[in-house]
Amino acid sequence: MNATQPGMAPPDLTRGYRLARWLKSLWGLNLALGVISVSTLAGLWQFAGPLGIPGLEDVPPPSAVVVAATDLLVSEQYWNGWLKSFQRIGIGFVIAQFIGIPLGLAMAISRGAFGTIFPIIEILRPIPPVAWIPISIVFWPTREQSVIFIVFLGAFWIVLLNTIGGASNIDSAYKRAALSLGSKPRDLFWKIILPATIPSIVTGMAVGMGISWEMVVASEMIAGDTGLGYLLWQSFQINAISHVIVCMVSIGIAGYFSSGLIRLLGGFAAPWQRLH
Amino acid sequence: MNDETRREGGRPGEIEIKGVAKAYEGESSTVTAVEDCSFVVERGKFTVLVGPSGCGKTTLINLVAGYESPTEGEIRLDGALVTDPGPDRLVVFQETALFPWMTTIDNVVYGPKVQRSMPPDEIIAKAGQLLDTVGLSEFRDKFPIQLSGGMQRRAELARALINEPAVLLMDEPFRGLDAMTRELMQEYLLKLFEGSNRTILFVTSEIDEAILFADNLIVLSRSPGKARAEIPVDLGRPRTLDMLTQRRYAELKHEALTILYEEAVGAFASGVRSASDIVEAYQKREAG
Repeated sequence: MNATQPGMAPPDLTRGYRLARWLKSLWGLNLALGVISVSTLAGLWQFAGPLGIPGLEDVPPPSAVVVAATDLLVSEQYWNGWLKSFQRIGIGFVIAQFIGIPLGLAMAISRGAFGTIFPIIEILRPIPPVAWIPISIVFWPTREQSVIFIVFLGAFWIVLLNTIGGASNIDSAYKRAALSLGSKPRDLFWKIILPATIPSIVTGMAVGMGISWEMVVASEMIAGDTGLGYLLWQSFQINAISHVIVCMVSIGIAGYFSSGLIRLLGGFAAPWQRLH
Repeated sequence: MNDETRREGGRPGEIEIKGVAKAYEGESSTVTAVEDCSFVVERGKFTVLVGPSGCGKTTLINLVAGYESPTEGEIRLDGALVTDPGPDRLVVFQETALFPWMTTIDNVVYGPKVQRSMPPDEIIAKAGQLLDTVGLSEFRDKFPIQLSGGMQRRAELARALINEPAVLLMDEPFRGLDAMTRELMQEYLLKLFEGSNRTILFVTSEIDEAILFADNLIVLSRSPGKARAEIPVDLGRPRTLDMLTQRRYAELKHEALTILYEEAVGAFASGVRSASDIVEAYQKREAG
């Protein structure tokens, strides 16, 4: 490991090469450390009961979770849970974009729209979407609709604010150039303001997707009768903790895939951004 | 808008700046960027505005472009009052203002496309030809971020030229380029101007660049900006970079520097601390 061991002539290495070797060893080191830390954690968890680590006695060990998973993975309820949660995310999230993006653009362009709508937003936005669950159960005719509404709220604020922010912070040089080149207001909107705002919109969507998953799980726990969040809570109530853990991991994976989808979409909608 | 007046005088492009002032209202005070400024940008001539930084050069360009309106006085292009931005006065900016979300070709065709001034296939053909002239044919489908600094300026030049502007306004367009690219771009612009004799209003803070380009050199005073002196540059054309070694060039440079020096002394006396740099530099130069 040490390049200058006593008694040995230092090897003739150029600076760049030495740096590359150091980085490579660092990467190898990180990998090794990662493997050690994760397996130590799994080991501690596995043997928590026998070792008598306080607090973990009642948590099933990883081996039991794997057994429970095989059992859950063949059940229809589990896969239906995936489908239902994804459906709710899909509908609520998409509606949030369809309302949030145009509203945000309108507010960025028109002073009147901004002055009218912004005070309402400032009052409603600080209320966490979870706090809306009871009132939305009362308001919406079906539980399904109230869950979708909560998901919608989770994605709505962030995409709205990001759209307003993005569209009102466009470099004035672009607008000036566009005006000089003879743009009409319509060209200015469709060819300058909208594309210039896309990167901010995509950022808003990525963050909003994360919040949407938090909201779908929370509202399914309280108001749902299907979905991964509901299944998680149901498993807890019948004390099937292994199933709870499988649901948690599943939600993690689902969230990961959803973010990947947004990234993919972002790269497609703003190809110039990929080149940074 | 001003088609009639333009037809009368043949090739368009004469700008008249008459008693122009521009003041910006601040919270507690008013900042005057340009005051009592008058000069003429002659048709088919290369006019260069030179002056210390902060003398209102960019403000003047913004006024001529129509991005801002003067607080006093008026600006006329071929007799018609300038009120709005328009494709008859195109600006090549200090920092590139190519649209990052459009490829090179889309940037170039943007003007004629939104103006609907030509049939689409004609636009594409003309844009292709222009990209060829500025040496960017291979980069037509690249985004601005994939182009080097020099390429970006050339793409911007093409985007302006496709509109056949009466006047080309250039606001320190070569600032921030490395020395080599800058020289190449200077030679390139000279060739372009000498081949077409279009009207150009060019702003710079570099005296060498200013003399290299100018038919008419307008020296601006320190803030608030005012046309302090006009120096006709009688070096022959075509201009080349090695003219910078001619005696006549040195004389012209001396003349311009002397005016800038007087300006700086005055500014320094009235409390502009940054003016001391040029005062010091000039005195050293004269002593050595």
